[in-house]
Amino acid sequence: MISFNQVTKRYPGGHEALSSINLVIEKGELVFLTGHSGAGKSTLLKLIAAIERPTSGVVSVNGQNISRLSQRAVPYLRRNIGLVFQDHKLLFDRTVIENVVLPLDIAGFDRREALKRARAVIDKVGLLNREKSNPVSLSGGEQQRLCIARALVSRPALLLADEPTGNLDAGYAADIMAMFRDFHQVGTTLVIATHDDRAISALGGRTLHLDHGKITEGAA
Amino acid sequence: MKHWLRHQKHALTTALRRLLSQPVVTLLTALAMGVAISLPSALYLMLGNLNRLAGDLPAQPEISLFLAADVTPVQKSLIAARLKQADIAQARHIPKEQALTALSASQDLADITAGLTENPLPDAWVVRPQASTPEALTHLASELGKLPGVAETQLDSQWIERLQAALAIGRTGVWLLGGLLAIALMAISSNAIRARVLTRRDEIHVSHLIGATDRYIRRPFMYLGALQGLLGGLAAGVVLALAGGMLHAPVAHLSSLYGASFQLLPPAGTEIAIVLAITTLTGWLGAWVAATRTLHQTSAPR
Repeated sequence: MISFNQVTKRYPGGHEALSSINLVIEKGELVFLTGHSGAGKSTLLKLIAAIERPTSGVVSVNGQNISRLSQRAVPYLRRNIGLVFQDHKLLFDRTVIENVVLPLDIAGFDRREALKRARAVIDKVGLLNREKSNPVSLSGGEQQRLCIARALVSRPALLLADEPTGNLDAGYAADIMAMFRDFHQVGTTLVIATHDDRAISALGGRTLHLDHGKITEGAA
Repeated sequence: MKHWLRHQKHALTTALRRLLSQPVVTLLTALAMGVAISLPSALYLMLGNLNRLAGDLPAQPEISLFLAADVTPVQKSLIAARLKQADIAQARHIPKEQALTALSASQDLADITAGLTENPLPDAWVVRPQASTPEALTHLASELGKLPGVAETQLDSQWIERLQAALAIGRTGVWLLGGLLAIALMAISSNAIRARVLTRRDEIHVSHLIGATDRYIRRPFMYLGALQGLLGGLAAGVVLALAGGMLHAPVAHLSSLYGASFQLLPPAGTEIAIVLAITTLTGWLGAWVAATRTLHQTSAPR
């Protein structure tokens, strides 16, 4: 589903975030990216979602070469990818359900169908009683669950999560990880960048360790 | 097609919501646009009205002959005979008694005329010549002026020609001013939209991340620009209506002083529609420029 071939990413200024990465992630896999901050975890996720382009090498997702993808095609690629951010990136000028409906609006869904789907996903992450609230009123863990609901509402085959439990205490973190395990079980491909060793041991799956832009263990 | 319609509807409702969410900004922008567009519109209306006024007046040149106070009946009949010749299209005699009656009847001068012991007005002829070239007219006027018993001649065509020439300049001015202010309108709209795009940076960023196309992001702003332009056009209408209302009484007074009943004519329905269409279009264009530029700046590939 995802393959990196000799991928290097150098940021303007000369910092090399990734150096000659080779890796393959199969459909339905659950993969953890570990490593200290600055090791290149976020950059790797950004390359998959075409938020960044590789300096050299080939990144391909679903058989599409991301490096050669035209700017116009990027939105359509992203619609098949659910993104979960450490800082949630929620919109505070609208309600919980409006946040979740946004990806479906963008994809041109019928409004009623979109609301129905959004409600189902919100129920799945346990926020149904808060659907009309403003995200500001939610706790950190609830905001993260809302972010996950938004990532999942368009039923993507691939979910990318960057430090999804980074700001949460242990109880919330375990909640979130349990949710990810459920998605893995229904066949979603997950790539999760995290520090949380307990979560990794609880869920199992494959671990890729990054150190200074190189994969030091677990590479395929 | 269905998707497209759904996106349009969504964009329109979003645009409306954003307009209403900042009512003061919306109002001020509409007012700025309205004032800008009301200037050429007012000039256009003024010219239309002046043109109508000029159209009421004889378009053909006329020569007025004022007879001397001591004119003899023989001289009078000689003048009348001269005016029957072929180079005169039409000649109308206005005896001084008739002139005085007209003056006391039609204007607020009855008091003055009633106080007169004798009629100070001369007998007059209003002559419409066959020729219309300025040279022929001047020649004829001077010839008629030399007839015995004629005190003075006046060529009446000149001021009308001058008025027509001035109106032609005015019409060019309307287009010039209109063009310039359309650019100003685009700049106003563009600025207003740019400000709104910048306040929605987060939303735009998030929308990009979850698969929104530039078109999707731009669309509500373009509707916003168009609506803003439409509001601007309506504001211009209000400004003009107020101005028209304030001018109504003075114009009626002035025209009564000239013994005429002249009223300001409001713009026609099609003219209003055209102005609204133009403001809507310029608003839309300004929004497109602003949104496209700002999108490129905020989402420049890093």
